[in-house]
Amino acid sequence: MDYLRKKMLELLQSMGDFALMVAKSFRYMATHFRVGDTLIQMDRVGVGSIPIVFLASIFAGLDMALQFEVVMAPYGARALLGKVVTTSIIRDMGPVLASLVMSARVTAGISSELGMMTSTQQIDALRVMGIDPLDRLVAPRIFAGIVMMPILSISGDFLALLAGLGISMAVGHVPAPLFWSGVRDALTAQNLTDAFLKPLFFGFILTSIGCHYGMKSASGAFGVGRSTTKAVVSAAIWILVANFLLSKLLINIWGLSG
Amino acid sequence: MIQFESVSLGYGDRVVVSDVNIEVPDGKTMVILGDSGSGKSTLLKGVLGILQPFTGKIMVDGEDVGKLNEGELLLYRQRIGMVFQEGALFDSLTVGENVGFWLWEHTDWSDDKIEERVRTLLRFVNLEQVIDQSPDALSGGMKRRVAIARAMAPQDPKVMLYDEPTTGLDPFTSRSICDLVRQVQSEFSVMSLVVTHDLHDAFRVGDLFAFIHDAKVILTGDRKTIEQSTDPFVRTFLST
Ligand SMILES: Nc1ncnc2c1ncn2[C@@H]1O[C@H](COP(=O)(O)OP(=O)(O)OP(=O)(O)O)[C@@H](O)[C@H]1O
Ligand SMILES: [Mg+2]
Repeated sequence: MDYLRKKMLELLQSMGDFALMVAKSFRYMATHFRVGDTLIQMDRVGVGSIPIVFLASIFAGLDMALQFEVVMAPYGARALLGKVVTTSIIRDMGPVLASLVMSARVTAGISSELGMMTSTQQIDALRVMGIDPLDRLVAPRIFAGIVMMPILSISGDFLALLAGLGISMAVGHVPAPLFWSGVRDALTAQNLTDAFLKPLFFGFILTSIGCHYGMKSASGAFGVGRSTTKAVVSAAIWILVANFLLSKLLINIWGLSG
Repeated sequence: MIQFESVSLGYGDRVVVSDVNIEVPDGKTMVILGDSGSGKSTLLKGVLGILQPFTGKIMVDGEDVGKLNEGELLLYRQRIGMVFQEGALFDSLTVGENVGFWLWEHTDWSDDKIEERVRTLLRFVNLEQVIDQSPDALSGGMKRRVAIARAMAPQDPKVMLYDEPTTGLDPFTSRSICDLVRQVQSEFSVMSLVVTHDLHDAFRVGDLFAFIHDAKVILTGDRKTIEQSTDPFVRTFLST
């Protein structure tokens, strides 16, 4: 019982620390924006992730079109293929998959980098030299995540659709114009909101969680390794939780249309 | 003057050192000796204002460090140079950028002026040639030298803190770092606090000595006092 209470307290404490870190970082973004550091992070977080996100998206698009084709062909519903594939890609698969791939790369990278800096006292050195690490290290990373994730995810969605089109034509013998008209049907305001809003939140989650675990990493290779593992696992879980909550919220707002 | 008045320090609700009373007069170097985990680095964190004392107060130059607010702490730290254990150089920056970091962040000096100051500081520690290298490419001794140059960047500091400046270095390099510590002290007449667990280095740089053991300062004094002590813990230190 005592053990449980201790764990609960630790969890609350950790969530409190996280909230404080995020609040302060946003204040720095508003009051003391660091252009140079932020651009560097946007390059590392965003541009550096292009290959893996695009690759993941293409294979997701191929596979989805394949599976839906198999399920829908017996009902003669091939005409709907474009719409179904598009809807599932831009509302769920695209953002979630891109973010999970990103968390493996970006969350792990941030958390091990900051963890190593904590471990070698570089973070203390920053503080002693009058710089808040939240200002110099955390805020630029979170900002980069929030801006770059939607761009990556939406470009990935587009590639996934092209891949889906390829499979539909090759395997399902769906003519391209038919597929495209399905795609157009699926580009509703609701779906587009999902496509934009979800990766924005996921980008926030995967960078801020990496920062959080990195900053409180224990020292040494073992400590940094453990906090990196924790960061990646919790980023993945929170992305899935947030995905469900956002889906629910957006469905509530828009109704069941779309 | 740096004064610890019945200070106890620690983390969370854990007390690491208690009832510390030590005094470093202007222009003198005090060496803090103790085994690993005894709380030496913790004392330095107290002087820097990173940790607040649970009880007692730490006075530096007549200022009570525990009473300073965030803005005052920033100003206060400008007068303090800190050399971390292992150097703590920013490995994403070059040596020159490390040394100039403080000036970039806190002054509106021109690039040329900063570079000139950086070169002067690096020349002081005999490392001007590595200005464009990454800290990863430096040996342990060179890293400590760069860290010392970086610590002096703000302006000529009044207090220098060194956390184990010679740990992990060969005797020859240790000696040159000790000489550098002395040189900083005589040239800028700073007060220094040097943490170490090497007695030879301690005698080489220090005027005064304090031993920490079992969460307490068990002995302070000059070299004579230390050498004549009968305390068993101090004796083991002396016999190594
Ligand atoms: N950030 C921290 N949070 C909690 N406990 C800490 C923290 N830093 C140090 N401690 C604990 O405080 C004690 C003293 O640590 P400190 O780093 O001051 O020792 P030290 O004398 O400098 O040792 P070393 O010679 O190994 O550097 C240790 O037992 C350590 O576990
Ligand atoms: Mg230490």
